[in-house]
Amino acid sequence: MTDLQKEKKKEKGSDKIAINIQGVDFLYGENQVLFDVNLDILEKKVMAFIGPSGCGKSTLLRTLNRMNDLIEDSRISKGKILIQGTDIHDKSVDVIELRKRVGMVFQKSNPFPKSIYQNVAYGLHIQGIKNKRVVDQKVEESLTKAALWEEVKDRLNENAYGLSGGQQQRLCIARTLAVEPEIILMDEPCSALDPVATGRVEELILQLREQYTIVVVTHNMQQAGRISDETAFFYLGKLIEHDKTKTIFLNPSKKQTEDYISGKFG
Amino acid sequence: MSTRKKVSSNSFKTVLTKESVWERIAFSIMRFMTYFVLFCAGFLFWDIISKGSKKVFEGEGLINWEFLTDHPQTLHVIDQNGTKQKLSSTKYYLLKEEKISKKWETYIAQSKFSNQLADLSTGFDALAEATQPESIVSLQKNLLENESKSAMQKFDFWISLLNDPKLTAEDFEIRESEVIPMVSSFMKGFLSSESSRLKIIEKQLLIFKAEYFPIVSNPDLEKIAEIKLAYSDFLKKNLGLVSEHYLAKSKDLQTKAKDFLSKPTPKQLGDLVLVVEHFAEIRKIVIPDSEDFYWPMINQLLGEIQKVATVEIASKDYAYSGGGIFPAIVGTFLLVIGAMLIAIVLGVFCAIFLAEYGKSGRFLSTVRLAILNLAGVPSIIFGLFGFGLFVIFLEWNVSLIAGWFTLAIMVLPVVITASEESLRSIPQGFRESSLALGASKWTMIRTSVLPYAMPGILTSSILGVARVAGETAPIMFTAAYAKKTELPWENLEHWTDFFFQGVMALPYHIYVVSAKIPQNDYTADMQYGTAFVFLALVIIVASFSIILRNKLRKKYRW
Repeated sequence: MTDLQKEKKKEKGSDKIAINIQGVDFLYGENQVLFDVNLDILEKKVMAFIGPSGCGKSTLLRTLNRMNDLIEDSRISKGKILIQGTDIHDKSVDVIELRKRVGMVFQKSNPFPKSIYQNVAYGLHIQGIKNKRVVDQKVEESLTKAALWEEVKDRLNENAYGLSGGQQQRLCIARTLAVEPEIILMDEPCSALDPVATGRVEELILQLREQYTIVVVTHNMQQAGRISDETAFFYLGKLIEHDKTKTIFLNPSKKQTEDYISGKFG
Repeated sequence: MSTRKKVSSNSFKTVLTKESVWERIAFSIMRFMTYFVLFCAGFLFWDIISKGSKKVFEGEGLINWEFLTDHPQTLHVIDQNGTKQKLSSTKYYLLKEEKISKKWETYIAQSKFSNQLADLSTGFDALAEATQPESIVSLQKNLLENESKSAMQKFDFWISLLNDPKLTAEDFEIRESEVIPMVSSFMKGFLSSESSRLKIIEKQLLIFKAEYFPIVSNPDLEKIAEIKLAYSDFLKKNLGLVSEHYLAKSKDLQTKAKDFLSKPTPKQLGDLVLVVEHFAEIRKIVIPDSEDFYWPMINQLLGEIQKVATVEIASKDYAYSGGGIFPAIVGTFLLVIGAMLIAIVLGVFCAIFLAEYGKSGRFLSTVRLAILNLAGVPSIIFGLFGFGLFVIFLEWNVSLIAGWFTLAIMVLPVVITASEESLRSIPQGFRESSLALGASKWTMIRTSVLPYAMPGILTSSILGVARVAGETAPIMFTAAYAKKTELPWENLEHWTDFFFQGVMALPYHIYVVSAKIPQNDYTADMQYGTAFVFLALVIIVASFSIILRNKLRKKYRW
């Protein structure tokens, strides 16, 4: 597999590796959920994780910015994850700094019960940025990037829960963008949204990949096909296959992948 | 026939089965019990409101402001031309003074009064003459002889007793071995009675007693002789003190007499009578059987004039039934605010630790068990605990701060449990997204958990307020005074004294008034009036926190 990767690297020399996952085993207590996962995620591309429920794709995503630290008794027992050459699980790593650079958007849109403005400015406020001009500018910029500015610019001081579900999710993306991350992790960002709202978020993801490395976990294979450059297929905690999205969907090399994509199970 | 047919053809006809009968019985019992509860609640509130409002809304105007703003006093009920009038102590004494001054004014206008004044003046002049320092010397001698005569007689009696115990044994039916203890106790008693008689040299006598105590408690012939000598010395030495005191008192008497003679008022008269009484006491010691002609005259004249300066208003007095309850309202208010502040701060920190930082395990479950147990402890135990720890051990005495901490610890379990619950009810998503945006754990808790949990925490504090305000037992030993006229912020030497003073409290006041036996209409009025105000106060404080909670809830809606 490594040979394959190297080959690909040669083909597209301009692609830099953003995240380098090396042989990761992950356990919740005694329960191993990831088995020897090796994966490179390329800079400024969209990587989609697909696979049936409980295959470990969300767990892998959450290890990328150490959100799994919150879960008691969970640990990486083998392997490491390198972001820009640094092992992010190393003791010397400041997890706050890591999370600033690796942002995350969750499955359920969960804006804070504050105003829209306050939501976007939250990340800046907790960093101690108080300058109103800077914050204002950042808020506008982030909302614009998240394609929400036009819709909310007149009601920035209203409660975020007055927004529709899709708008809320885009607000969460804007909130993440305001911290200026390099990588954005999205954990099934559209699973709670209707098709129209899903379409808006997908559009947004396509725009964002110009500037950010994006990793998306999705159950929706069509969605993976529409938005991702590369796709990784997980099954029972193992990375079965990963390749260019087109290749995975049209010409998968593994039988399991083909079965899953064609809807034989999952 | 046809109807019967119809009925029997109804396949949905209700049939009385055993089960349905039981159901009906159970249902009617439930219904009865619910009505009973309703009745009890209704009766309680009706009772307190109907009886309490009598006190709160009595008198002129809508509200009886005196009751709300005055301090507790004795109630004097006087009969005025057939109608009963209720007066608090302050008003009663004002009325008395008014009547006295009226009587006084008419009396001093009469010629009889000026004659009396002239006679008094002569009497005091003669007295001043008789108490010149030079005249004291002979009196001193007199005093020494009189005093020592009686004392020496007693010492001689003891000596004879010790000399021939067998002889006395026949007389007193006392065996030989009991003579010595008898003498010693007799001697102690003698010294004690001396010290109470000779008030001015009481301290010196105590010193004397301490010095000779070993002798006194274990006397024999030689030692008694020794003490006899010492006592005579003691008398000689301290005679100067007695005469000094006598002279000072006499001087005092002269100035007071002069004041009164130049400007006779009831107040000056009262002062003068007091000094005359003091002077008479010491005079009895210095001149045991004086036969001054002017002394009875002074006493008689003063008695006559004093009759003018007294007015008797027949009244029935009821303790705690007059005046108001302002200090108790203030005290309860302070207790509630302070205790709730402490309880919320302590409780919230504890709850944050339990909900956010604590790793589930044995320690945490032990803490939870401890908190649950704490909730079940009777409030009187908290009172004793507070008394032992804060009042005695930390030496805070009966004080606001001791009451605060005792009450705070009492409501702590409620606050902790409810706060933890409301912290846990905050969606995990808020925590995760806050952390994902680069917040540290503490920042996350501070900015995206605690503010949203605040409505829930305040709800729990509402329950706490009612309990803190209502409990009597915890403050009985730690913070409450039965009566304190000063308000907490009055007469403070230093601002910290504010925290180290006891206060009155409404529940304790109700207890004090209710515990007064015999009960009567007036104390019952006070009791129900206090209960009424107390309920109103709890409702006001609780509704304040409810408003605050609702405001926050509206602000943080998700």
